[in-house]
Amino acid sequence: MSQSNGNHDLFENLRLELRRGCLSLAVLSQLRTERYGYTLRKALAEQGLEIDEGTLYPLLRRLESQGLLTSVWREEEKRNKRFYRLSPEGKLMLKQLGAEWQRINSSLNGIL
Amino acid sequence: MELLDRYLQAIEFWLPKRQRHDILAELSEDLRSQIEEKETELGRKLEDAEVEAILKRCGAPLEVALRYRPQQYLIGPTLFPIYRFVLAVLLIGSVVPRFLIWLAFLLADPAHRSYLHMENMGVTVLYFAFFTTLAFAIAERSGVKLEALNTWNPRKLPPVRDPNRISRFGSLFEIAAGIVVNLWFVGIFWPRPTIDFYRVRITIAPVWQVFFWSFLFLAAANVAIASVNLFRPYWTPRRASLRLLFDGLGAGLFCGLLKAHLLVGISAPSIPAAKAIELTNLINTLIARMLPWAIVTLLVMLSFDVFRIMRLRCVHPRGGSIGPAVKDLSSPMVNGN
Repeated sequence: MSQSNGNHDLFENLRLELRRGCLSLAVLSQLRTERYGYTLRKALAEQGLEIDEGTLYPLLRRLESQGLLTSVWREEEKRNKRFYRLSPEGKLMLKQLGAEWQRINSSLNGIL
Repeated sequence: MELLDRYLQAIEFWLPKRQRHDILAELSEDLRSQIEEKETELGRKLEDAEVEAILKRCGAPLEVALRYRPQQYLIGPTLFPIYRFVLAVLLIGSVVPRFLIWLAFLLADPAHRSYLHMENMGVTVLYFAFFTTLAFAIAERSGVKLEALNTWNPRKLPPVRDPNRISRFGSLFEIAAGIVVNLWFVGIFWPRPTIDFYRVRITIAPVWQVFFWSFLFLAAANVAIASVNLFRPYWTPRRASLRLLFDGLGAGLFCGLLKAHLLVGISAPSIPAAKAIELTNLINTLIARMLPWAIVTLLVMLSFDVFRIMRLRCVHPRGGSIGPAVKDLSSPMVNGN
């Protein structure tokens, strides 16, 4: 029983580790068009990548502080929302990371 | 929306000050959007339990807030292993000898209660832990970079260490020192009723004969072991056990010697008889007082011997000569060549 719990915890840790790097790439790719946090989350969820607010917003801030995103507060539907989009550096980074992802993916497909 | 406001207030407390307003506005907008969407779906206002479920899914306030803070640590991952090592060495170095001395006094001289106080041991440990942590935290904050991480060179790394190998120099030294000390020992302490030392005549108890021949036998045995070690420079369980046996016998004899009151009398033309008796008793007492310290030293020495045997048994349970552990890694069976 406890070994099964241990395996489950280990799987969760490894899964989160695997997911962490992918999320940055997914977020960058979705911000080719301008979105605010809530719609970004929904867009990712619709494509099968659920991400909770506690993970998404700190990630958006980090990417913005790294110069990969720009953001602006704007009123929409009578509420203030923060809209994000890729900066020029972000576009370049997305291209590089996308190529890297393809390389890793094809290698792993061969290995697995 | 009272629950939501309370939730946001709880998060606010832990957020970085400069971004607090911005983060709360964004998070609040997201949560309100979720609530509104759910209300549209159900066609009614959400009940408190439903709002509570949304907030619970979002996470505990502290947990949510901490995700916005940069990762902070007192001692970073580079310095931490060094910190732990230094702390362990200091703590073991400060606690173990005192504990052994305490134990030795407890066994050998329990009447001396003053030696049995251990209260300030905790304070010593705290001091060591505090100042070590402080020093490493300052090093971390000041951005000390370990130069060795950038300038290391495989050629400058220490040679592969084999704990079971006996250095030839060590064996030679042991043989030479054993012979010289034994000659001196025999010359000075050959069993006789009195020893004349300049103009002082020292009278020794007859039991000295037993000690003398026992010590001489043990010293010769140790020289013999060192001679074998010189030509077969790897410890084997048998030789390590013999070393433990001889060291153990030597330790027992030495402790017995300290308690034996060997000095029967001292006489010299310039010392009155009463003073000589007083001096004899004083010397015997002082020698006996050395017993706890001797026990500590001998226990440390014997623990090395025991550790050596355990190490040999762990690596090579059936005995035999032991090669370096790292050498095994390059054997054809391991690397598949």
